[in-house]
Amino acid sequence: MYALDELNPREISVLLCGEPERIAAWAGQWSARRLALHVVVIIVGAGLYGAAMGWWRDPQQALFTAVKFPLIILFTTGGNALLNAMLAPLLGLNIPFRQSFSAILMSFVIAAAILGAFSPLLAFMVWNAPSMSPEAVSGSTYSFIKLTHVAVIAFAGITGNVRLFQLLAQLGGSRTVARRVLFAWLAVNLFLGSQLSWTLRPFIGSPLLPVEFFRAAALHGNFYENIFHSLLQIFQQFD
Amino acid sequence: MHDHQPVRLGSIGVFLRARPELLREWVLRRQLNLVMFCVVAIVIGAGVYGAVMGSWRGPWQALYTGIKLPLAILLTTLGNGLLNGMLAPLLGLNLTFRQSLAVVLMSFAVMSLVLGALSPVAWFVVWNTPPLTAAMQLSSPEYGVMQLTLAGFIALAGIVGNVHLLPLLSEWARSVFTARKVLFAWLAGNLFLGSQICWVLRPFIWDPARSVEFIGREYFHGSFFETVFEAARRLILS
Amino acid sequence: MNDQNPIPPQIPPQLPPVMPASGPRPLGDDPSERVAIPNVIVAIEAVLRHPRRVMFQLRQPGAGRLITAMLFVSVVCALIYGVVAGTFSGGTQLWAAPVKIAVGLMISALICLPSLYIFTCLGGSQARLIEVGGLLAGLLMLMTILLIGFAPVAWIFSQSTESLAWMGTLHLVFWFIATLFGLRFLEAGFSHSNARSLAGFRTWVVIFLLVAVQMTTALRPILGTSETFLPTEKKFFMAHWGDCLKAQDEASKSESR
Repeated sequence: MYALDELNPREISVLLCGEPERIAAWAGQWSARRLALHVVVIIVGAGLYGAAMGWWRDPQQALFTAVKFPLIILFTTGGNALLNAMLAPLLGLNIPFRQSFSAILMSFVIAAAILGAFSPLLAFMVWNAPSMSPEAVSGSTYSFIKLTHVAVIAFAGITGNVRLFQLLAQLGGSRTVARRVLFAWLAVNLFLGSQLSWTLRPFIGSPLLPVEFFRAAALHGNFYENIFHSLLQIFQQFD
Repeated sequence: MHDHQPVRLGSIGVFLRARPELLREWVLRRQLNLVMFCVVAIVIGAGVYGAVMGSWRGPWQALYTGIKLPLAILLTTLGNGLLNGMLAPLLGLNLTFRQSLAVVLMSFAVMSLVLGALSPVAWFVVWNTPPLTAAMQLSSPEYGVMQLTLAGFIALAGIVGNVHLLPLLSEWARSVFTARKVLFAWLAGNLFLGSQICWVLRPFIWDPARSVEFIGREYFHGSFFETVFEAARRLILS
Repeated sequence: MNDQNPIPPQIPPQLPPVMPASGPRPLGDDPSERVAIPNVIVAIEAVLRHPRRVMFQLRQPGAGRLITAMLFVSVVCALIYGVVAGTFSGGTQLWAAPVKIAVGLMISALICLPSLYIFTCLGGSQARLIEVGGLLAGLLMLMTILLIGFAPVAWIFSQSTESLAWMGTLHLVFWFIATLFGLRFLEAGFSHSNARSLAGFRTWVVIFLLVAVQMTTALRPILGTSETFLPTEKKFFMAHWGDCLKAQDEASKSESR
C-alpha cells in the first residue's frame, strides 16, 4: 500500500493541461497510487462542490450532498465499467479494461477538480443569497443559483470530455473512432448517471421538505418515467 | 473454384451456391440428375412447409396440405411445361422443351428449399397463434397475422426463386432484356395456372364452413378468377 | 440427347461480387489470427477484440469445440442477465426469468439456423453449415456478453421502478443494442465467405429479430409474475405489448385518482 503522502497532486495539473502522451502512458499502466489519487480528487472536488450546493438549504444538507455528489460519479464509473470496456473494442478502439476504466475515471477527475475549484465561488454566491424560503425558491434567486450550477457543471463536464476525446484519439490514432467511442460512453454514462442522481436526490433541497439523505420515494419510479409523465401532462393540457 | 468442372449435385449448399454457368452446365449435361434433385427438394421443402401450415387446423389438415402444396407446384410446372417451352424461343431464348422444364423446376426447387428452411419459423408462428375455437373467424386478427405471415413467406420464397433464375437466363440468352422477357412470360403463365390449381386444391389452412377433407367436390365449382371478378364487380357496383 | 442443343456451352464472364476487390483482408493473413482459442476466457476476449480470429478458427478442423464453448458462454451469460431481470419481481422469477431467457435465446437461434444457412448459400457464400452455426453462436455470445455489461444499469432501474412496461422497454432496448453488435459480427463473418450479395442475410435479420421478440411473448412472463410457468393463452407480441401498455395506463390513472 502506498501512503497518502506519496500522492503527487501535480499530476492533476497534467490532466487539466491535457498532455495526451503522458496521460495515455498513465492509462496504460495500472497504479494503485494513481487510482487512489484520482478517487481522492473526485471525493474532495465533487464533495466540496456538493457541500456548496447543499449549504443554501442547511449545513446538514451540505454534508449529505457532499457525500452524494462523489458517490454518483464513482457509481457511474463502476457501474458502467464493464459495458464501456466492451463498447470500446466493438467500436474500433482496441484498449484493455484497465485503460478504458482509467480514461473515464481521469475525465471525471478533471471535472471534479474543476468543480472543486469553483466551489468557493459557489459558496460565496450562496452566502450572499437570501436564506432559502418558499419566497426565495419561487423568485429569481433560486433560478439564478440553479442556472449557475448548471453552467459550472456543464463547463466541468465538457472540459472533462474534451480531454477524454484527446486521450482516445491518442490511444486509437483516429479521431473518428475516438468520437464514436466517446459518444457511446457519454450515452451510457448519462443514462445511468441521470438515474443515480434521481435516486440520490435531493441536492439543493427544498424549504418545504425536511433535510434528508434520500427522499422517502427514492426507489419509486425513475428519472425517465418522470420525464415521460411530465411530457404527457404538458400534452394533455393542449387536449 | 468449381466454375469449369462439373460438380456432383449432391447437396443443397452446392445447388444453391452454384453460379449461373454451372447451373447451365447441369441443365445441359446432368438433366436427369437435376430434375430428380429438384423434385425431391420440392416434395420435401414445400411438403414440410405445407404440413406446418395445415398443423394449425389439425394433423389431417397438416398431412393434406403437406401433400397439396408440392402437388400444386409440380402440377403448375407440368401444366405449363409445353407453353413455357414454346414461349422461351419465341421471346429470344433458345431452350428446348426439356431444358425449359428443368429451368422452371429449378426455380421452384429454390423456392421450396427456402420454404423448407423457413418451416421452423412458420411453425413458431403457427404455435403462437391462438388455437382454433368456435369464436375464431376468418376475420379474426390473430388468424389474419398467421395467414399473412405464411403467405408472406411464400411470396418471399417465390421472389428468391425467380431472382435466382434471372442470372441463369441472362447468361443463357446473353441479354438481360431477353431474360427478363422470358422470366415475366413464365411468371405470368405460372401465376395464372398456379392460382387456379391452388383454388381447386384449397383449403391449405382452414375452411370454417367444412370439415377436414383432401379436396371437396364443391371446390371444382367456379374458378379463382371468376371469384375475383365477381368480388370486384360487387365492390364497384355497391 | 442433351447435346442436341445448338449453342455449345461457353464460359461466360463472371458476375462481379458485391464485395469490392480490395475488400476484406483474407482471414488468417495476420499470424495472431491463426492462434488457437483454447478456452472460454480467450473466446470472450477474441470475440470482443479480435473477431477475425474467431472467424478464422471457425473454419479450422475442430471448430466444434469452439462453438460449444461459445454456446456455453452464451447460456451462462443469459442466465446471469436473467437473474438480474428476475430481480424486478423477485420470488420465482429469480429462477424462471434466467431459464426462460437462456432457453428462449437458444430456441430462437435453432429455429432461425436453417433459414440463415439457405439465405447465405443463395447469396453465394461458401460457408459450411458448421461455420454458419459457429457464426450464429458467436452472435449469441457477443450479444449475451454485452447484456452482462448492461446488467448493472438494468439492476439499478429494476430496483427503482414498478412499471412493467418501462422495464420491458428498457430490456428490449438493451437487447436490441446487443443484437446489433452481434449482427455486425455475423455480417463481417459472411463478408469473408465470398458472398455475392447480402440481401438474403438482411432478410434473415428481420426474421431473426421478429422471432426473438415473439419469443419474449411466447415465454411470458419474464419480468412480471404469473400463476403458471408458461402462458395459458397464445398471443402475438403486438397484442401482448398493447395489453401491457393498456394495463399500465389504467394503473397510473387509478393511482392519480
